[in-house]
Parts: sequence; C-alpha cells; structure tokens
Amino acid sequence: MELFGGSTGWFAGFYDEYLGFVSFIIRRWDQVIEYTFNHFSLVLTVMFFSLVLWISVGLLISRYEKLANTAFGIGNILFVIPSISLFGIFITIPMLGLGRTSAALALILYAMMPMVRNVYRGIKSVEWPIIEAGRGMGMSPLQILFQIQIPMAWPVIFAGIRVTVVMITGIATVATYIGERNLGRFIHHGIARESADMIIAGAVLVSIIAVLLDFILGKIEFKITSPGLRREQDQN
Amino acid sequence: MIKLDKVDKVFPGTTVPAVDQVSFQVDEGNICVFVGPSGCGKTTILRMINRLVEPTGGDIYIKGQKVSDKGVNPDYLRREIGYVIQQIGLMPHRTIEQNVALVPRLLKWPEDKIKPRVKHLLEMVGLEPDEVAQKYPHQLSGGMMQRVGVARALAADPPIMLMDEPFGAVDPIVRGRLQDEFLRLQKEMKKTICFVTHDINEAIKMGDHIVIMNKGRLVQHGTPMEILSNPADEFVKDLIGSDREIKLLELTRSEEIVEHTDEIPEVVNKKDCFIQAIDPVQRALETMMKKDSDLVGVRDGESFIGTISWEDIKKHINRISGDQA
Amino acid sequence: MEFEMERFISALFDRSPPHAVEHLQLVLIPLTIAFIIAFPTAVLLTRRRFIKYTDRVMTFFNMGQTIPPLAVIAIFFPFLGLGRTPALFALTIYALLPIARNTLAGLKGVPQDVKEAARGMGMSEWEMLFKVEIPLSMPVVMAGVKISVVLTSGTAALGALVGGGGMGAVIFAGIDFFRAELIIAGTLIIGVIAIVLDRLLTVIDNILTPPHMKT
Repeated sequence: MELFGGSTGWFAGFYDEYLGFVSFIIRRWDQVIEYTFNHFSLVLTVMFFSLVLWISVGLLISRYEKLANTAFGIGNILFVIPSISLFGIFITIPMLGLGRTSAALALILYAMMPMVRNVYRGIKSVEWPIIEAGRGMGMSPLQILFQIQIPMAWPVIFAGIRVTVVMITGIATVATYIGERNLGRFIHHGIARESADMIIAGAVLVSIIAVLLDFILGKIEFKITSPGLRREQDQN
Repeated sequence: MIKLDKVDKVFPGTTVPAVDQVSFQVDEGNICVFVGPSGCGKTTILRMINRLVEPTGGDIYIKGQKVSDKGVNPDYLRREIGYVIQQIGLMPHRTIEQNVALVPRLLKWPEDKIKPRVKHLLEMVGLEPDEVAQKYPHQLSGGMMQRVGVARALAADPPIMLMDEPFGAVDPIVRGRLQDEFLRLQKEMKKTICFVTHDINEAIKMGDHIVIMNKGRLVQHGTPMEILSNPADEFVKDLIGSDREIKLLELTRSEEIVEHTDEIPEVVNKKDCFIQAIDPVQRALETMMKKDSDLVGVRDGESFIGTISWEDIKKHINRISGDQA
Repeated sequence: MEFEMERFISALFDRSPPHAVEHLQLVLIPLTIAFIIAFPTAVLLTRRRFIKYTDRVMTFFNMGQTIPPLAVIAIFFPFLGLGRTPALFALTIYALLPIARNTLAGLKGVPQDVKEAARGMGMSEWEMLFKVEIPLSMPVVMAGVKISVVLTSGTAALGALVGGGGMGAVIFAGIDFFRAELIIAGTLIIGVIAIVLDRLLTVIDNILTPPHMKT
C-alpha cells in the first residue's frame, strides 16, 4: 500500500469509500459465478422461445395485415404492465408458483413487443418495386420471403433481437424477487441489509454485462448487414 | 407471338373496368408500345401478360398457348419473360452480379455458365463488368442501375420482354442515350417487346407498333406513321400534341420525297446546301433555314440524287397529315 | 389462484389511493426534469456548433436505458439513502433517452426545403428554431414524451424498493403475501395512470401541433 501513499493515503480512502464493492466481488467470487450462470441460463431460455415464437408471429402478421393491430395491441398492453407485476401475477397462479417457469413466461411476454414489431417493420420496409421485380422474374412466394424479404429485413430483425436481449437481461434482475438466484439478488439483498458494497457490486455487474452485450451485439449487427444495405442504415 | 382477345380487368372493389375489351396482337421481333395517360390500363395489360394480374375476362396467348391454362405455372411463365420496371427494383442486399444472375439461378443454370453470361450481359448494356460486378446497387448512378435492370431482364435470354417505363427514372439526356442503345441492341436481339410509356415521343421513337389507351379502352393502334398521319380522334390528337407535323417530318426520310434530277441547281451549289438521303425531312428544313435557301440538294453517299424544295415539304405535310390546308 | 373480490375492491379503493398519488409524483417529477434536461440538450445538438457532440451525448443517454432499471434505482440508494430522492434520480435518468432521441429525430425530420424557404424569407437562426423547426417537430417530440411516460410509470413500481413509495408498495406486498388481488389492483392503477397521462399529452400535442399536420 506504500505505493499508493500508505494505508491512510488518498487512495485507501477512495477505495474504502467507493471501491468497496470490488473487494466484495472478489470475496464472493463463487456466488458471482453462480448468479451470472443462472442469469444467463434464464436469458438464453427466454430468448430461445422468444425467437421461435415471436419471429413466427411477426412473419404471420406481416402477411395477414388484419392480425397486426391485434398483436400490437396485446404487445402494448403487456409493455405497460410493470415487470414486477407480471412476475407477481404469474407466481400466484398455482401451477406455476415461485420459480423459473413464472420468470421465463413473464420475460417471454415482455420480449413480444420489440421482437414482433421489428420483424413486422423489417418485412414491411422492403419496398414494393423489389417485391414486384422478384415476382416479375418468377420467384415463388417462398423464394421472395427467404431470398428477398428476410435477408433485407434481417438487420432490423437483428436490431430487435439485440434490444430484446439487453432488455431481458435487465428485467431478469427483478426476477430475484420471485426466487431467481441471479445477479439481481445482490441488489435485492443489498437493499434489505443496507449494504452499499453489495448493492453497488450487483448494479455494476449487471450494468457492465448489459452494456457489453449491447456493444457486442451491435458489432455483430454491423457485420451481418449486407454492405448493400449499410448506407441506407446510416441515413436513418 | 402475343395475342390479347377481348381482355377485361375489373379490380376487386371497383366497378369501372381498368382494362375494357382489349384485343390486339404483337408480332414476333416487334416493339409494341402502349401509350396513354396514367390510369389508362397500359401497365395492367403488361402485368396480365406475365400473370402478375389475372384478367377477369378474355384470353391472352403467347405463341398460341393460353397463359391462363391450368398447366402453366405463373412463376415458371415469368422466368421465360424478361421484366423491367421503372423503379428497377434491384435487390439492394445483393451485388450487381448476383442481381443479374437472379433468373439463371432460379432456372438452376450451372454456375460455370452463369459467370460468363453475366459478364457478357453487362458488356452488352454498356457497363464495365470488372468495375461494377461486385458493387451494390446504391453505389451506381440512376442510368447505370437502369442498364443493370435491362441486363437482369435479358439474363436468361427470354424471347419476350415486358418493359414498364424502363427509362422513366433518369434525366432526358441519359434517357435518350439509353433509348438509342436499346434500339441498337434490339436490332440484333429481335426480341418481342411490350413497352409501356406515357411519353408519346418515346412511343414514336421506340415503337414498331403503337397502342394508344384511354380509360381502359384501346383507342387506336398502328405504326407511328399511321397514328401521326391519321389520328383517330381528339384524344389521340391531344396526346400527339401540336407539333404533329414536325414529328412526321422526323419520321420521313428525305429520299421518300426527293425530286430526282441529275443536275445540281446553281443556288444549291453556291450555298453548299446538301443533306443525306437517309436524313429525316426535318433536316432538310433546318438546312434550308441555316443556309437561307429554299432548295436543298440530296446526296446518297457522295452521289447527287435530286432536290427538295420548300414547296415539296409543304405538299408532303399536307398529304400525310390528312389536313386539307 | 384464489381471487377474493372483496379484498380486491378494498385494495383498489382503500389501500391504493395514497400510493397512487405518490406514484403520480414519481412519474411527473422525473418526467418534467427529464424534459427540461433532454429537450434543450437535443435542440442544441442539432445546432451546427454542437453537432459533433451528438454521438457522445446520445451514447450517454443510451446508457441510461441499457443499464437495467433495477440497477439504476439501486445505484443511487447508497449515496442518497432511503426515500424518494434516489427513486426520483433514477427515474429521471431513465426518462431522458426517449425524449432526447425523439427531439433529435423530430428536428432532423423537418424538411430541408422548408428550412431553406424560411432562411430565404430572412428568418434568423433563432426565429427559425422557434417558429419553424420546433413547431414542426412537436408531434415526434410528444411521441417521445409518451414513451417516457409509459416507461417511467412502469419502472416507478421499483421505487418502493428504496423507500420511494408509489404503487410498487402495494404490488410488493402482494408478492410477499401471495395476494394476486393486490398485484392486480396495483397494476391496474399504474395502467390507468399511464393511460390518463398519455391522453393528457395527446390533448397538449393537439394544441401545440400546427393545424395542417393533424391527422
């Protein structure tokens, strides 16, 4: 500690006051690993079902326009319900109760809005002349879907996936209040015990993970976007 | 080659037919131009030929085969017909090469046949393959994109082309150049082409045959000369515009009205007032004005064949325009 | 799920009203502060002199949204202690992005030819801002405020965790005692608050939007 001006020097004071959470994380490393693992296994489960379910729904409503308003209506209502309420409502349903199923179901419902909306928007953003040209050259409806609409919508769809992953990772922290043992638990218990180190440790960890995820997925989003579509993206 | 027999189209939710009892025939190797104001049904006719729109009445035949036959799969039908639209509709996420190769790939051509074909096509429409093949549509100018659109439609060498205002999205100078180049190409290709435009000048320039449409009905059809010299009604007259005589002069070659003589009149020689036999009569008029002469000499190559006078031109106008002036 | 109507009614009408007032404050105060911060900032970012900072500032606002709401609420607690202040701080940060983003989008969306015409008529930059750009971008700005309202009224439920009160108190009590009636009553009132504020903003929007842009 001599290096930093002794144990009573400014760094030690700064460390005690603001960086106590670092030693907390080091001290509780095993728990950090356990919570992080639980956190991501929940997010992965939710994303798996959300991708299958909501991309299908998005494609469906882009084809059957009449269903679109209904779907967006439901999505909007779900979005207004606070996350904690949705978790709470699921645990009072006897078959579900406290635990992962309730947490996962609530999060899947939350994923609906950003996913379905982006799939729909992406598919609808493909301009009419391109579809017309595809049809005129003899592409079948499935070829148009898989060779034109989905590839062109893919950047928008992926942006939706990115937003959803980050959002779900964030909201999953709240699931600690219905028994999930994830990174939200440090915040949850930290508040209960009024332990600043614990709260900050939890908050910093989930924040770093969320920001990092957003950053990495953003890079991937750029990579997978056809160079032919990039300029249009820049202009938005 | 293409025959329409009393074709009707009433779109769902409307009562006024978009296309009303239209019959005509396009001969093999001809460019047939559909012209008329927007909403006259010309695009609908085009889209019925490749079954993007199904007619509500009448029949369409290609090479004697009814396109609406049960055995005809519309997707396969369209792969045999080139299609060019004004908005071009290039796939923005694919390179120029991939765009041009689209139909050959749909037809499952072997890959080693596609690459040279794309190169050949790009050259044919006046693009440098090495330069543009790997680019994306947004990196090209409007005129270049139109060329790619034409190349893409020609990719699988379809005998029939449908072109909906194919040069409509570029400025007049580029449009003129694209028209000239396309006509040159067509001389070799001899495709059967249906061409839609709202511009009567483009119709006169491009068409072997012109079909004039209004409110879903076929108003008049015939060669450009027939239509200019004998407009069926006021609508056609309005469409052609007030410069009908000048357009006629553009369509007539000087050799058609030349007064044959071996002697070169002195006034022509003195003012150096000559044109070529294949020049349009309009050129004779311009030359007269420029040289301040009322007589112009006509040459075929180097040899003198005769003269055209101011009176000859006036007589010609009166004869072909049908006006008893 | 056992659902007792009586308990639900009592939760709705006896227990909730004081919390509803707190909740309304937890939404309106952060929203107002966020607007006062985000709107002028975004307007400045469209001015030529500040345009180069746009990315950096927006990244900062974006962070407020990327960081999980529970973390934002919790992080102020150790520094500001128990009570409403940390909740207000956190919710303000949370409300910034939609307002800033939409203001930016709205101002950028004003057609170039309209601005050109305004300049041609001799409007100064300030006149143009207040008479042309801001009025024309109002619908987009208000849409952003509405998104913030929905986000804030939902997230404010977490305010109860740090002693900020609000409808979260009712909902968390419902979770602790497995009482669906409390959770649903609390959620319902949050929904009503969000919808009423949304309608109110629509009315304001109608007053502020130039007549020709109304649909």
